[in-house]
Order: sequence, then C-alpha cells, then structure tokens
Amino acid sequence: MQNLDVISVNIWQMLASLANLVIIFLLVKKFLYKPVKKMLETRQNAIQSDYDAARDAKNQALADKDAYEEKLRSAKAEADDVIKSAVNVASQREKEIIAEAKVRADGIVRQAENDAVLERKKAEDGIKKEIVEVSSLLTEKMLGREVSAADHQNFIDSFIESIGEDDAD
Amino acid sequence: MKKTSLRFRIVDAFYIAMMIIPFIAGIVLKVLTKPASEGINITGAQIYFTIPMPLQDFIVTESQINSLLVTVVILFFCLFMTHGLTEKCELKRQHFAELIVEKVDGMVNENMGEYFMAFSPFIIGMMALSGVSSLITLFGLYPPTSDINIVGGWAVLVFILITYYKMKCGPINYLKSFTQPVALLTPINLIGEIATPVSMAFRHYGNVLSGSVIGVLIATALGSLSSKLLGWLPGFLADIPLLQVGIPAVLSLYFDIFSGLLQAFIFAMLTMMYVAGAFDADTYRKIMEKKKAKKVKKHAGVE
Amino acid sequence: MELALGIILGCCALGAGLAMIAGIGPGIGEGNAVASACEAIARQPESKGSVTTTMLMGCAIAETTGLYALVIAILLIFVAPNILVDILVSTIGAL
Repeated sequence: MQNLDVISVNIWQMLASLANLVIIFLLVKKFLYKPVKKMLETRQNAIQSDYDAARDAKNQALADKDAYEEKLRSAKAEADDVIKSAVNVASQREKEIIAEAKVRADGIVRQAENDAVLERKKAEDGIKKEIVEVSSLLTEKMLGREVSAADHQNFIDSFIESIGEDDAD
Repeated sequence: MKKTSLRFRIVDAFYIAMMIIPFIAGIVLKVLTKPASEGINITGAQIYFTIPMPLQDFIVTESQINSLLVTVVILFFCLFMTHGLTEKCELKRQHFAELIVEKVDGMVNENMGEYFMAFSPFIIGMMALSGVSSLITLFGLYPPTSDINIVGGWAVLVFILITYYKMKCGPINYLKSFTQPVALLTPINLIGEIATPVSMAFRHYGNVLSGSVIGVLIATALGSLSSKLLGWLPGFLADIPLLQVGIPAVLSLYFDIFSGLLQAFIFAMLTMMYVAGAFDADTYRKIMEKKKAKKVKKHAGVE
Repeated sequence: MELALGIILGCCALGAGLAMIAGIGPGIGEGNAVASACEAIARQPESKGSVTTTMLMGCAIAETTGLYALVIAILLIFVAPNILVDILVSTIGAL
C-alpha cells in the first residue's frame, strides 16, 4: 500500500469533501435542527397558550371581583337607606311621642292648677266661714252683749274684707 | 420520568451501536491494511485505490473513508439526539440537543444577523464534522482534517458561499469591489480574495498536522529514551518502551482534544464572519427596492 | 552525485530550520494578546467569557503565519527531498 505525500492537492478529493460537508449540512438540518426547532416552537406555543389562558382567567377573576364589589357597594347603600329611613321613622315617632306627652303633661298641669285654684277657693271659703264663726263667738264673748244682727253683720263684713284684702295682697 | 418502552430502548441501542461501529470498522480497516512502521514516519493518508477521472485521478484514501465514517457517526448521533423528543423534555439528551441548537442559533444571530439564520444548521454540521474528524485520532485513526484536500474542500465551499453573497449585490458591484479604495490595488485585492480559503485551509490543516507530527516525534523520542535509560532491565522488559505509556496522553489532551475542538470552533467562526462580511445588506436593500419599483412600473405600463 | 545529494538534503534541513524562525512572530504576538486579555479580565471580570473567546480567535488567527512556516518546514523535510532527488537522478542519471 502506498501513502500520499504530506501535502498533495487533488481536486476530486476536495470535491468529495465539499460534497461531504454539504451532505452533513443536510443531515444535520433534517435530523437535528428541524425536529429540535419544531419541538421548541410547539413548546413555545404551549407555554404561550398557557399564559394566554392564565391571563384570560385572571381577567375573568378581576371582572368578577369588580362585579362583586359593585354588588357589595349597592347592598351597603341599600342597608344605609334602610337604616336611614328607620332612623327617620324613629325620630318622627319620637317627636310625635314627645309632642303628645307634652300635650298631655300640659293638660295635667292645667288641671292640677285648676284643681289647686278650686281647692284654694274652697279652703278660703271654709276659712272665711270659720273665721266668721270664730269672730262672732269672740265678739260675743268680748262684748258680753248681744249685738244687733245688723251691726253684727256690718262689722264682720268689714273685718273679713280687710282680711281678704290683706290676704289678697 | 416516564418509563421508556422496550421498542424505544432497542432503537436507542441500535443508534448507539451505529455510532460506535464506524470507529471499530475504521480501526479494523487500519489494522488490516496499514503495515507496522518503525521510527519517524510522517506521511499523508494511505491510498486505498484510485479511480481514473479526467484532469486528475480520484485517489480514495484513508481520509476519505474516515470522513465518511464520521458522517455516519454524526447522522446516527443526530438521530439518537432527536429520538424521543417530547414537549415536556423528558429525556436528558433533549436538553443537550436543545442546548446545541440554541447556542449555535445565538452565535449565528450575534455574528451574522437575522438574515443568515438559515446558516445555523450549516454551522452545527461544520463544527461537528471538523470536531469529530479531529477527535478521531483518539481512536488511533488517521484524522481527515490533517489532509489538506479535506479541509481545502470545506474552505472552497466557504469561498463559494462568500462569492455567492458578494454576487447578490449584482456582478458589476462584485467586480467593482476589487478596485475599491484605488484601482491600483486590484491585484492585491485579488490575492486577498484567494488568500481567504487558502489561509483557512492551511490554518486548520496545519494545526492538526502539527499536533500529530509533534505526537509522533515525542513518542519516538520517548521510545529511544526509554531504551537508553531502561535498557538494563532484565528480559523482555527492556524491549517495552515504558516511558511511552502515559506521557503522550497528556500531550494528546492539548494537541488532539483542545486544539482540534478549538480549530473546529474557529473554522466555523471565521466562516460566519467572512460570509456575513461579504454580504452588503444596504446595497442589497437598495437594489431590491429598485427592482420592486421597476416591477411596479412594468405592471403600470401593462395595465 | 553524493555531493549533490548531500547538498540537497542539507539545504532542505537548513531551510526547514530557517523557516521555523517565523515561529517567533506568533509567539510574541500571542503573548501580547494573552497579556492584554489578562489585563482586560482583571479590569472587567464580568466580561471574561467574551474576552476569552475573542482572545482564542485572535490567537488562532495570529498563529496562521507560524503554521505557514510549519507547513513550509514539513514540505522541505518530508516532500521536497524526494522530488529534488528524483529531479537529480533524472538529470544526472541521463548523463
């Protein structure tokens, strides 16, 4: 067997190795590059779709949250309205009750005053009568004599008048 | 992790076997055909047979056969890598395959730009071919990259690509580019144009060849040194070159593995740079716009 | 005949040795490149990856001249003597 020189240029050998490189390129492209690229792409797509789904779900959740918040707010407002109307009704009732009570109290007070006035008059009358009796007794005793009925009456009247005036003052 | 089926495992085993068999075949072929050599013996590839062709005979050598074996290995490596690809990335090899593809994609995108993304599998193939061709020395086979014809063929392909991308801006622009700064520099530009593939080929070839030359020299030197130093050992021990046992392996770590892979990387890198540099994107865009305008005008004229 | 052969072989070896003087250039150049890369990494440790890649690229390209010399040397040692001896035999043997 013969050996080649260390350096010997041969065109056909060069062409063969050139073709070899081209074949390697095609093989690598067909069997390594394209499948791996395809796989990467499908994975990318899967991840992208996952992301999209997640984003959609998040958006949905956010929308739900907004809706619930809206509902909550309206419920709160309703409750506020209810409370406010209840308070209004209650305050009205309160006023009414107070007014009624006032009216009734006024009535009671007035009656009491009238009663008092009547009582006083009654008492005054009683006292007057007693005083008359007492004074007539007193005068009878003091004078020791019968006074004429007319004098008697005059005297008592003037006296009572003065007492009544004093009393009235 | 999903349990793999028996069928899947059998196919896997077939692919792995097909990745190993070419090396064994190459070693067997070498053992059968190569006569044992004594002393320093640095020659080119062994000639198996020649095919008469016009202009020059097509000499089928060890390097041709070995590069075919490398092609088979790479084919089955690709098949093995992409076997059982899933969306969920269940197998470890898928990570590796994706790592390769994404790294090279990133490199191509960084060095060449979006327009050249189709070059990515070409770069992967070039790196794989060059790297495995250099690493084949670890099996004791003749590395095809230390044959100038193999590397020269790749360099010629790169030169064709460069010229193609220069031609994209029109043949007139291509010819004009040689007289670029001054018309006087035309010969120098021509030499520079031709020097590109030549220097690429010689760089790769020289690196790998120098590695194997130094390996042979050191192995021979160690052999003679051990016969001088350890000649007093009794019996057959004196005949065994004991110093040759571990030391060349350390050197082969640099010259075969590091240098081979680095040269593969540099060859791919230079390819990217030269091809990307050959393409004048601005001029190309202008030309395309002009063509579009012409087409529109023609359409308008027809109507 | 023997003298001519000796001259051819000796000059081939000499030429190969002289050609490898070109190894000085890449050596100095790569040394400078690595020194600058070390400085750059010391200044900006975060850019270590890109600096290393660029440095390796530059080193490999700077090495090209040295490799040209190596190729010439290998040619002179392993290829040229055979060819030159063939030429010698074909010319002197005809005499």
